[in-house]
Amino acid sequence: MTETLSVNVNQAGNGLAPSELPGLPPGAEAVIALRGVAKWYGDVVAVSDLTFGIGTGVTALLGPNGAGKSTILNLVSGLIRPSSGTIQVLDRAVPGDTRVYRDLGLAGEQEQLYGSLTGREFVRLNAILQKTANPDAAVERTIDLVDMSDAADRHLGGYSKGMRQRIKVAAALVHDPRVLLLDEPLNGTDPVQRASLIALIRRLGEEGKTVVVSSHVLSEVERFARNVLVIVNGKLAAAGDFRTIRERMDERDHIVRIRCDNPRRLAAALVVEPVTTSIKVEDSRLIAETSDVRQFGRLVPELARQEGIRLFEMQPVDESLASVFSYLVGS
Amino acid sequence: MAALWRLLPVTTLTVRQFTGGRTARLVFVLSLIPALFAAIYVARPWDVTPNAFATDLFRELIAPTLLPIVVLLPATAAFGNELEDGTLPYLLMKPVSRLRLVLGKYAAVLIVTVPALLAGLVVTTAIVAQGPEARDLGRVLVAMAGASAAAAVLLGAVFLLVSLIVPRALLAGMIYIFAWESLLGRFLPGVQAISSREYALRVFDGILDDEFSSASNAALTMLVVAAVCLLLAVWRLRNVQVD
Repeated sequence: MTETLSVNVNQAGNGLAPSELPGLPPGAEAVIALRGVAKWYGDVVAVSDLTFGIGTGVTALLGPNGAGKSTILNLVSGLIRPSSGTIQVLDRAVPGDTRVYRDLGLAGEQEQLYGSLTGREFVRLNAILQKTANPDAAVERTIDLVDMSDAADRHLGGYSKGMRQRIKVAAALVHDPRVLLLDEPLNGTDPVQRASLIALIRRLGEEGKTVVVSSHVLSEVERFARNVLVIVNGKLAAAGDFRTIRERMDERDHIVRIRCDNPRRLAAALVVEPVTTSIKVEDSRLIAETSDVRQFGRLVPELARQEGIRLFEMQPVDESLASVFSYLVGS
Repeated sequence: MAALWRLLPVTTLTVRQFTGGRTARLVFVLSLIPALFAAIYVARPWDVTPNAFATDLFRELIAPTLLPIVVLLPATAAFGNELEDGTLPYLLMKPVSRLRLVLGKYAAVLIVTVPALLAGLVVTTAIVAQGPEARDLGRVLVAMAGASAAAAVLLGAVFLLVSLIVPRALLAGMIYIFAWESLLGRFLPGVQAISSREYALRVFDGILDDEFSSASNAALTMLVVAAVCLLLAVWRLRNVQVD
């Protein structure tokens, strides 16, 4: 988990060392490094000014539809060339050096697979092309990892969307890559499959692999990634731990919900404090806005003690990934 | 089958794609069209010998039109279908040289087309042999087979390259076959010099007339052009962008 962040990143970044790139925790090395990357098609700019690094662990690539998430994954995969800037994966230039694919796997967004192959044949094809030492064992291991053993001998043409997603993940994992790129891997999966994939993604991150997951299901992203890259209109809006990003959003007051046995009295004590921006009482609870959530967090228990009020709960309500995302996209 | 996958994964995959879809079936059906003409000839022979009929069939139908179409279908599908449906990244994102990818696809094109063409020619010749006073058809068959194989080697490489450059390669190929090979190539000497039909017919005539140096020169030219096209396809594949 990274503790560093960058908000409103917008720099060419060509001179930055791999450890200085936005999005990386202090001292961490970038496994994936983008410096000043832009991609345009004629007059249409898909992404621009992208400078960031991605280290080990799980990183979520977030953004509204059409923000440029898939373009970024295709750029990192070497499937498209940047119009300007440089991309490195594991210190190798992308695109250009096909050796990088020994340690890189992609489960892309394309729906089509080789319909005439079975799931097992498809994963085996990937294992063979990756020159995996023991392809048969690797195939069985990864098919088992994504819970596809029962359907592995069926033709891909008859797979449901969720099954296709899982077999794509198996194919991307079969050579045990150090870097894994997953484009909307949870799309089309049922709740059980989703839980299984989320557990797998978390485990891969904990094992020290670099996993980049593009997704728009923020509630689920929060379950496997704290580190995020937020893309808005083709530009990097924020990078780093989303909770830290929220803390650094100085222009946005924090909303805190407090439950206690005497909310009116606590509200009266809080309203005169400089860090309190606004406060309102709703039944047995207070909804307060504060400009400094850390100081506010120390202040409330102190005031409650002085006033003889019993505190039951104090909860920030806009620090979820969804809140951070909506603030970034909205701004 | 498992051994084939391991030895020739790209070729095996591509042949499976051809046989799993319509491509292989179309190739075999088209290859048998000359046999249909042969059957009509045998049923109601007109005033030509079987030998002359088979020679004309090759000159007027197989070499300029049918053979290029038979090769065009799999050659443009080999990369074209994967570019179109977005499955090409499964090949591109591998530590496999682009040359190996191109040669794997090219081998699959030849594996599907050459046996189909040869089978069609054998069946056609066997039917024509039932005609009146048939003789020396074995020689015609060898000439047709040699010329067809050489043309498949050339056109397979050409159309493979075209599929990596032109978005609608099948349509472009059809226009080329009907406008260039079948129409202009017959009348304009300048066009003949760069027509696969002409080179295929040189190989055919060379074998038929025992002029092997002429046949081998034409075949060598076709081989060189094919090699150049394959190298250009490798270059193109290195620069292809898959969105």
